[in-house]
Amino acid sequence: MINKLIVIGLCTTGLIANPMSTKFQKKEKNIYQSHCIPCHQHRPYSLEKVYMLYLKTFSGETIFKASLKAFLKEPMEETSVMTDEWIDDFSVKSKTLLSDAQLDEAIDIYWKLYDVRNKLH
Amino acid sequence: MSVSKNKGTNLLRSSEKSSLRRFLALYIILVIFLLLLLGMFYYQSQEKLMFSNQRTVLSNHANEEVQKLRKIHNHFTTKEKDNKNKNSEEMKSKQEYPQCEDFRSAIYDIERVKIFSRLKNENVNFDKEVYRVNNTIQFVKYLDDYYLGAKYLFIEIDENNQWYEDTMIEILTLGSFALIILAIFGLFFVNLFLRPMKNSMQLLDDFIKDTTHELNTPISAILANVEMMDRDLMVEKNKKKLARINIAAKTVSHLYQDLTYLTLDHNRKSKDEWIDLKKLIEDRVEYFAILAGAKKVKFQLDLNYSTIFIDAVKIARVLDNLISNAIKYNKRGGTISITLRSNYFVIQDSGIGIEAKKVGDIFERYTRFNSSEGGFGIGLNIVKSIIEEYHLKIDVASIIGEGTKIRVDFLKGTVNDK
Repeated sequence: MINKLIVIGLCTTGLIANPMSTKFQKKEKNIYQSHCIPCHQHRPYSLEKVYMLYLKTFSGETIFKASLKAFLKEPMEETSVMTDEWIDDFSVKSKTLLSDAQLDEAIDIYWKLYDVRNKLH
Repeated sequence: MSVSKNKGTNLLRSSEKSSLRRFLALYIILVIFLLLLLGMFYYQSQEKLMFSNQRTVLSNHANEEVQKLRKIHNHFTTKEKDNKNKNSEEMKSKQEYPQCEDFRSAIYDIERVKIFSRLKNENVNFDKEVYRVNNTIQFVKYLDDYYLGAKYLFIEIDENNQWYEDTMIEILTLGSFALIILAIFGLFFVNLFLRPMKNSMQLLDDFIKDTTHELNTPISAILANVEMMDRDLMVEKNKKKLARINIAAKTVSHLYQDLTYLTLDHNRKSKDEWIDLKKLIEDRVEYFAILAGAKKVKFQLDLNYSTIFIDAVKIARVLDNLISNAIKYNKRGGTISITLRSNYFVIQDSGIGIEAKKVGDIFERYTRFNSSEGGFGIGLNIVKSIIEEYHLKIDVASIIGEGTKIRVDFLKGTVNDK
């Protein structure tokens, strides 16, 4: 009985993951969703606002992506587009642990998601 | 038919007319080129003025547009935010780009990739601030803050062509006026430049006129005495000498008659009458027989009956000059063929001929075929003036080394059709 309860408890809390459901979840989330959204969703500035801030500073897709990648790899106050107040409150983010390829993929998804060219009429 | 007009040599000789025409043509071409250049500069200045006026208006439009872009940028929302209302997801996920009735705009990023455009003409120029393209004027503003990622903001308005029409009318009106004024100046300058040439010609004419007076008496005396001399009593040697004197005297007489005609006779009133050309040609051939004989030149005559209503002195000058030239420029032992038909005559020699490019110049006064021969070069000029006076037609065909053929046609009404 006790064993049954433990198994049910682990299953509901997710400590023992169902191999099928885990596989399904990995397919659902891309690298942007799994590595960017989780941190930013708790911040006052949404990812969209950060995108617009970046776009206002760096015009053009190539420059935008290169600048963002450079910042994520080596975050510094001087290269951050966020306000001083923001940095005082939340400090500069830590270095990304993603590889270059993963970073490029995540930035591509981010660019396409908020690309203003598709959102004007 | 009567030809009663008194037409002398023209005030302006053909060489002067030719110089006048060439100078005027060159002058007019230069003036037109200069006026076109000025017109072009004026057009460009007017265009710059128009651009300057439009730049202010377009700059104001651009500033308005920047403010609108700033608002859109700051309040930009996407479907992520609007996912709550899924029925209007598509519409709400798109932001309306600002539009105005007065102008159209477009934004491009720093890599010159189009972000959005409402322009009529998409072939924008990133390097010119204001420019015309397909009946529109476009203005580009470089943004410091890249709202919506835009580095370049283009403002486009429809072009008002009123300035163009006004400018073209001004250029055409002022250009035509200036052309007329400058053409009048040109004529004045031409006369000024030609004056030395005219003076030289006048001097030569005056000299010939004065000399002519002094020639008449001695020539008449020589010819009369030669005719009166009794040849029967002369030895053969003296007869030859007399013949030479006769030739020399006739040559001088011929020259005298030309000079007289040129300086005095052509001003007298024409006395036109029906002239028997066959008889006249035979007379003139007989007159020149001694001269031709000296060069062993033979005449071949093929004459039909023909008459022409003309001044006797003038038609004699025409025939004398043509026959005289045919002898003068003939080779020794050559021939002169004279053909007469009802409405034309032809005088053909077997002489040295004339270069094709010089044929047009032979009627110019003081022009000679060959400097080795004597004369003033006035004979054919006299022929031409008479031909023109009576509206006859003269054709010259010449081949170097073979000879020259001159044909004179009598036009309708001049020849006696009886």
